[in-house]
Amino acid sequence: MTLSEVTNISGEVGNFNVTVKEAPRYVDMDKCIACGACTEKCPKKVDSEYDAATGKRKAIYVKYSQAVPLKYQIDGSQCLRLTAMAKGKEKLPCGFCEQVCDAGAINYNDTEKTHEINVGAIVMAPGFEAYDPTNAKVWGFGVYPNVVTSLQFERYLSATGPTEGHLVRPSDGKKVKKVAFLQCIGSRDENTCGNGYCSSVCCMYAIKEAVIAKAHEPGLETSIFYMDMRTHGKEFDQYMERAKNDSGVNFIRCRVNSVEPQGANGDLRLSYVNNAGVQIEEYFDLVVLSVGLETPKHVLELAEMAGIEVTADRFAKTKDFTPVTTTRDGIFTAGAFAGPKDIPQAVVEGSAAAAAVADVLAPARNELTKEAVFPEERNIAGEEPKIGVFVCHCGSNIAGMVDVEAVEAYAKTLPGVAHVERNLFTCSQDAQEGLAVRIKELGLNRVAIAACTPRTHEPLFRETLKSAGLNQYLVEMANIRNHNSWVHDSKEIATKKACDLVRMAVAKVTFSASLAPISVPITQTALVIGGGVAGMTSALNLAEQGFVVTLVEKSAKLGGNALKLDHTWSGEEVAPQVAKLIDQVNWNEKITVFTETEVSAAEGFVGNFKTTLKGKDGVETVIEHGAGVVAVGADAYQPTEYGYGEIAGVVNGIDFDSADKAGKKNFVFIQCVGSREEGHMYCSKVCCTHSVQSAIALKKEDPSRNVYILYRDMRTYAQREKLYREARSLGVMFINYEIHGKPQVTKNGDVIDVQVIDHVLHRPVIIKADMVVLASGIRPKSDFKTLSQMYKISLDGDGFFQEAHAKLRPVDFATDGMFVAGMAHYPKPLEESVAQALAASARAATLLSKLEVTLDAIKAQVDSSKCDGCALCVDVCPYHAISLLEVKATAEGAAPTKVIDVNKAKCKGCGLCQATCPKEGVAVAGFTLQQLSSQVSAALAI
Amino acid sequence: MSFEPKIIAFCCNWCSYAAADLAGTARMQYPHNVRIVRVMCSGMVHPELVMDAFQQGADGVMVLG
Amino acid sequence: MLDNKKIGSVMIVGGGVTGMQSALDLADAGYYVYLVEKSGAIGGAMAQLDKTFPTNDCSM
Repeated sequence: MTLSEVTNISGEVGNFNVTVKEAPRYVDMDKCIACGACTEKCPKKVDSEYDAATGKRKAIYVKYSQAVPLKYQIDGSQCLRLTAMAKGKEKLPCGFCEQVCDAGAINYNDTEKTHEINVGAIVMAPGFEAYDPTNAKVWGFGVYPNVVTSLQFERYLSATGPTEGHLVRPSDGKKVKKVAFLQCIGSRDENTCGNGYCSSVCCMYAIKEAVIAKAHEPGLETSIFYMDMRTHGKEFDQYMERAKNDSGVNFIRCRVNSVEPQGANGDLRLSYVNNAGVQIEEYFDLVVLSVGLETPKHVLELAEMAGIEVTADRFAKTKDFTPVTTTRDGIFTAGAFAGPKDIPQAVVEGSAAAAAVADVLAPARNELTKEAVFPEERNIAGEEPKIGVFVCHCGSNIAGMVDVEAVEAYAKTLPGVAHVERNLFTCSQDAQEGLAVRIKELGLNRVAIAACTPRTHEPLFRETLKSAGLNQYLVEMANIRNHNSWVHDSKEIATKKACDLVRMAVAKVTFSASLAPISVPITQTALVIGGGVAGMTSALNLAEQGFVVTLVEKSAKLGGNALKLDHTWSGEEVAPQVAKLIDQVNWNEKITVFTETEVSAAEGFVGNFKTTLKGKDGVETVIEHGAGVVAVGADAYQPTEYGYGEIAGVVNGIDFDSADKAGKKNFVFIQCVGSREEGHMYCSKVCCTHSVQSAIALKKEDPSRNVYILYRDMRTYAQREKLYREARSLGVMFINYEIHGKPQVTKNGDVIDVQVIDHVLHRPVIIKADMVVLASGIRPKSDFKTLSQMYKISLDGDGFFQEAHAKLRPVDFATDGMFVAGMAHYPKPLEESVAQALAASARAATLLSKLEVTLDAIKAQVDSSKCDGCALCVDVCPYHAISLLEVKATAEGAAPTKVIDVNKAKCKGCGLCQATCPKEGVAVAGFTLQQLSSQVSAALAI
Repeated sequence: MSFEPKIIAFCCNWCSYAAADLAGTARMQYPHNVRIVRVMCSGMVHPELVMDAFQQGADGVMVLG
Repeated sequence: MLDNKKIGSVMIVGGGVTGMQSALDLADAGYYVYLVEKSGAIGGAMAQLDKTFPTNDCSM
């Protein structure tokens, strides 16, 4: 439901009644085919929201070229005709879009609709908006045209943006040579904008934009002005190091307070203090404001209407052990609404909210969803090809450039073609029904559609074939729109090419065969490896959803690393929550817990894993499961530096929590111990917050104490920033050090001397400490490797588990059916582990809720008469889907032969095997060598 | 008449074929003498297919993925 | 709690990456999903990005 907003929520968990107001689109979604003719004719230009006002759109428009749904809409506040109608004028202007719309989709009389919808639960994922620096004035945004926001810069860099990716100054179109990025605009700044929190994502996107801009324009100079570089995510620090060392991006630690114009030519002047402490004035062509994230006003109104509480930073209030649960029962939150976060974390929360919903609604699963029913399939084996060709006009999109009648006439001459017809829109509902009727009436056994791209429309035509009792793989599309009528401007050439494309499609479909659907049964149980907070949360959620779960823990008791923690960053006590979790897990009848047990062997594939567990006593148990969650945690680094273990009073962060601090006056925290350095170039993410929290506690206990934190970049990201503020206001001293000037720790009688180079004085200072706390980092465990080999799941360069896609599949493994949660994936605080654990459960539940998975039939098939078991394909298969079988000899005394076997569940149909096979012994169904070469021959036939 | 090469392009469904679709959406004009054959991965293109194309008169073969 | 009849459908407010992920997971697990989006198309803020870290992949 687009153009829709929630205006009221009544009822309670399990049974809400939601009022949704749907604004008029003025374009009939069923009729619009997104040809774009209307936009071309529309005379009214407005700033494009999508391009962040760097470009224009029309009053009738599509939000962006790949929008879903790809349907146009009229902006009622800008359209000449609609505004005139609203004013009650009699003589109405314009109306061009209606005139040019062949599909008849324009409806100026469309009205607002109200829907009452009954749902069991609600997920709020309304997102954020970028901070608007116009009113703050100090940066000259809105005054000097060459000051842009990072979102605008993103559009300038984009090939689909206003300058098609060329970096030119908005003021005069001059090529940009020098760009400055100013960080923390609208973040960590209570004075100018009231946003005290850190937006978490700006440091990383600024680096990315700087690197990409340099790639666009060789020789471009880029400087990032920052307070702390907060690149705390997975592989972020490595990216920053590459930006510094390989791409040559300058990083300057200085907050720039204003931007001044230098004369009238558009240049901008920044004055700042450089890394050596010298006051500098420098000129730039372009200044990019790295704007923060904030909750939009309409979302705050939505929150108020929904009755859910928000924090002081105006984000949805949640608890650390239930990070996607709002203050109202049955309403969940995900994404930037519950605090600024990056894409992977937002995606994790999307899945986590799904898990939380499923926990509540499990009894009602499958109640409202329906399975489509299709008629029995006709067996066409042995029939001569009887091909139906359907040529689509696509309104004037195809028919305007291609002589479709000529194409029709030509198609009739092709071998095997039994029927040809033209449709105004082959994809329309009535044309689909007509197609099904023709298939049945004429006994067609193959279909070629000359229309648009199979990437969007093949699924639709497959469904049509199914509904006509024909196997869905007996259709082929000729892309005479995207690859032809849209890219050529000669009717003669386009018509000829359309004929060629139809000939190729007919040639290919002639050799198409019915493909049996492939389905794999699913064992509806899960195995969770690791009994920490992540593992327990995941197991518990799956059990609440109704699945049987086995939970394996290596040590003697459940709880993991959380057993060593006192408080979460927001101050919640950890121990009682962990105790509660352990209790719930132990008492849940669907969960079987194995402690002092390890995974010793694993085999199988999605839906059908077999894992061998080995107890301390050597007893082995084999578990069959459909999905697996790896939540094995991580280790704390044991420092070897700064006199740890040698000098009394030098402790690590965990020791410190339980250490006796009574009577001690002087404390020094050293950050990044074992993190962010050669060999371990990643941020451990939790240490800054932990040290700041400890420092606050020390000061609160005794304000006369001297507490120092020696840090590289203070990474109290997102709403944690308030802890950093509080620590400073309590008088905690923060001293910045660089990696090449690490502190020196030496014993000096009863005290410990810590020497560090002061960044303000630029000279060494010595602090006399009673206690030195090393904020030691987090390391992967030594047994990650064996686990990764057993399940064929990979590790990243730092030794943590590697997810399938850094942004969009953050809890899946590339191996289907296996998921990752918690610190095994990357160091993270508790609430992020919980969110990822819930996400892993949601992802696993999408599998386990089905009895079988149906897979696309485009898979490798073995021709055992040709395969001689040479096994060349076994090694090239990227999915480890091919194995070698030995076939017993049929004749007595003969040697056994070999043949390959393809595991259809693992095969993705890429066809590397097909290209490798010297004997044509294996081929991807639907893309056989015969089909492809028939297409090539047809292409070259004339 | 000037020489007009015949070119066969094997395009991966997930990237180059999608790119060709987008070129259409953006109405980018390009020479007409390319014929695109859709494959599920450029890795599926057997060397014999390429040789086949040349034998049957193709002047150029592109494998895009 | 189990006595009350529960509705097997869910409303998701917001059609960005987060909302879409939530919708897909819930639909795949057997719940009917209403995805409510304020603007004319789903995609959210990510659709505005040119490329994304770390592989500089196009974000579409």
